[in-house]
Amino acid sequence: MPELAHEAQDGHFEHVRECPACAALLNRQRTLASGLRTLAGDWRSVEAPVRVESRLRAAFLGQAGLAVSHPATRWWVPVATWAMATAAVVVLAMFLARDRQPVAPAHRTTSNRVQLAAADPPADLETLGDPSDAEGDFIPLPNAARIEPNEDLNLVRVEVPRSAMIALGYAVSEDRASEPVEAEVVLGADGLARAVRFFE
Amino acid sequence: MTPSLPETDDELLIRMRRGDERAFLTLYRRRQAAIYRFALHMSGSATLAEDVTQEVFLALIREQCGFDPERGTLSGYLFGIARKQVLRHVERGRSDVALDTEVESSAVPELMESDDPLTFLIDREGIEALRRAVLALPRRYREVVVLCDLEEVDYGEAAVVLGCPIGTVRSRLHRARALLLEKLSQKWHHRPGVGALKPIRCLI
Repeated sequence: MPELAHEAQDGHFEHVRECPACAALLNRQRTLASGLRTLAGDWRSVEAPVRVESRLRAAFLGQAGLAVSHPATRWWVPVATWAMATAAVVVLAMFLARDRQPVAPAHRTTSNRVQLAAADPPADLETLGDPSDAEGDFIPLPNAARIEPNEDLNLVRVEVPRSAMIALGYAVSEDRASEPVEAEVVLGADGLARAVRFFE
Repeated sequence: MTPSLPETDDELLIRMRRGDERAFLTLYRRRQAAIYRFALHMSGSATLAEDVTQEVFLALIREQCGFDPERGTLSGYLFGIARKQVLRHVERGRSDVALDTEVESSAVPELMESDDPLTFLIDREGIEALRRAVLALPRRYREVVVLCDLEEVDYGEAAVVLGCPIGTVRSRLHRARALLLEKLSQKWHHRPGVGALKPIRCLI
């Protein structure tokens, strides 16, 4: 209590020495100050439980993780990825809505990373596809632009209703038509879908 | 080789906002005990104090935390959040019931023993009575005692925490101490051998 020292410096001790009432009051205030100091000292070791730190640490890492995963210098990466995926889904949906029969591929090329399949998928699937996970090779989408030999392509994986396979010539039972199936969509340099292949 | 000075709270906060986990932990470990004790002294509830401590530092983690170094210290800012959190819980009525009952024995440190029978506030019973008297103070007096007397926050910083002028802090402290003496006097009078003592005042 700084006030007590202040009072002492003001020469109040002279009065206190002669006044028993003030001496008693000052003594009580000093005792209270001493008691508060003792209480503060005794509680100095009291801390929050360790579990609070654990929870806060997890919360901090969660928060920091979000911040670190989106560095400002590369903000366009997720934006571009989502834009391309959205474009692919839109193009695919438009194609399916038109309910067209698959047409023969305009070309087949091996110069690109993507190898296009023939229009008759069942025959080609076993021979040209990657047997590890894909049903077959890429089927070019009708009305899609031609893939140029040195064109920079992007691959986006999406999920579409299995009924989408019907339009590309696959046999799909009616009761499974609404099930989702994964597909990879080839996007051209212009962001438009060129070809697709399905995964089981 | 001169030892490097410990980083200030503000420096740690800057690093923390860049995602530095070590900076956050250093800051937390530096400040958590005072915040926890403040909430515990204010509420008497270890559970509530734990919740408040967590909420205070969660607020700091959030990017939208409104700490402004121009307006005060980080410590004062944390006390301010803790105070609001305690008040919010008190308004909900959670801590009123707990005031004298919920302080867990593990949370209360061993108090000093004294052989001096004349010094009421030094023995274990006296200090415990003092703690209870602080807890029983009206909230606005309790918070100044806890901040200034128990956590040794200076009056200026306490004024920022409480959002009042520094003179108000002084007057509340004065009144709070008078109330504490009154409460303790009542208990003192019930102690064997001191019943004859009465409060006295000087009109000078």
